Amino acid sequence: MANRTDPAAKSIRGTNPQNLVEKILRSKIYQHTYWKEQCFGLTAETLVDKAMELDHLGGTYGGNRKPTPFMCLVMKMLQIQPEKDIVVEFIKNEDYKYVRVLGAFYLRLTGTDTDVYQYLEPLYNDYRKLRQKLVDGRFSLTHVDELIDELLTKDYSCDIALPRIKKRWTLESNGTLEPRRSALEDDFEEEEEKEEEDQIMAGLENGSHEKDYYRSRSPGRERDRDRKRDSHRHRDRDYDRDRGRGRDRDRDRDRERDRDRYRIRDEKDYGRDRERERERRRRRSRSRSRSRSRDRKDRGDREGGEHRKRHRSSVSPRRRTDEDGTAREESRKKKEKKEKKDDGTDHPDPEIAEQNRIRASLGLKPLRP
Amino acid sequence: MIEMVLNDLLGKKVRVKCNDDDTIEDLKKLVAAQTGTRVEKIRTQKWYNIYKDHITLKDYEIHGGMSLELYYN
Repeated sequence: MANRTDPAAKSIRGTNPQNLVEKILRSKIYQHTYWKEQCFGLTAETLVDKAMELDHLGGTYGGNRKPTPFMCLVMKMLQIQPEKDIVVEFIKNEDYKYVRVLGAFYLRLTGTDTDVYQYLEPLYNDYRKLRQKLVDGRFSLTHVDELIDELLTKDYSCDIALPRIKKRWTLESNGTLEPRRSALEDDFEEEEEKEEEDQIMAGLENGSHEKDYYRSRSPGRERDRDRKRDSHRHRDRDYDRDRGRGRDRDRDRDRERDRDRYRIRDEKDYGRDRERERERRRRRSRSRSRSRSRDRKDRGDREGGEHRKRHRSSVSPRRRTDEDGTAREESRKKKEKKEKKDDGTDHPDPEIAEQNRIRASLGLKPLRP
Repeated sequence: MIEMVLNDLLGKKVRVKCNDDDTIEDLKKLVAAQTGTRVEKIRTQKWYNIYKDHITLKDYEIHGGMSLELYYN
């Protein structure tokens, strides 16, 4: 039968490799003409020729969700299960970007965690454009490194649920993987050295005038330097430098966000922040072993409250320029009432309030009676 | 505000309240929030008319109390 997996194939994640693709999508692929005509009796070599003819990637499209040829070829690879060397060859070849992407996708589905990170991360340096077919049939522009980022960080791509792989920092702490070295690291190092030199020069020239600027930057610098020295924080080096390309891993995203928020506030209020920064550093280093969620929530609550408080206090001076005192009060009350009702989540009927809460979380407007 | 029933004829019946100017995609998001399937996997139909994502319920003339068929992609 044409749709049976190669009998010599190993089982992937405990099941027939073709089962990595869901039943509905699998049936759609089997019924598709591309599969029936072109993918019959393909071997590893002839599959390369078909892959070279690809000119777009994507999942399913259209009202009845037809699969793309890319999908059919992925399915074929799952069926014949080529050797790892062949897949690595697909990935390493520089000429045909769709062959590369096909190999990368297959490896992401079937490879071990270490293999996935090891072979897919070099592809971050490939900036070539790709054509992606969207659900409604139109094409959109994407790039190889964007796609690799999606494969490594998201759990769903091209209409296939990607198998779970361990997070990178788990593998690093196990020692099975080296900490990530970005290709832009050398460029960043040069930039940082230049910045430091400029700073020192500026500090020497205008002693007192530039002192604020220098001091306001130093907590950030100190923290960075501390981080660099801490051996168990060694992995942060790369994430600190990798400013532009925020890799979506929970802890690092939080840390980056906190850092950015923190840096902006530095310019506004230096004195208070230093205390808090010391406290936070102490808290962080002390409570590393405890649950992170508590830390994050506390930090989030505190900072959210601070933000809101500061916002309100900065609004009131403006308000005071209003002429009429009573009119100002009324307008303020009206605005607060409007803020409350805007969301609709405090509707008297609990069912509707619940629905409005769900809608707000999805980004939809509240229900209109 | 209209209330609709989406029935997948294998036992899953979902009631959602929505505005008539919501798009089909918003409706699918609400259904996904209730059933737990992904938004892209849901397909709403009425007999062979597959409803497209970007059109509002008002334009499809879907009124309150109507029941749609729920299928999966």
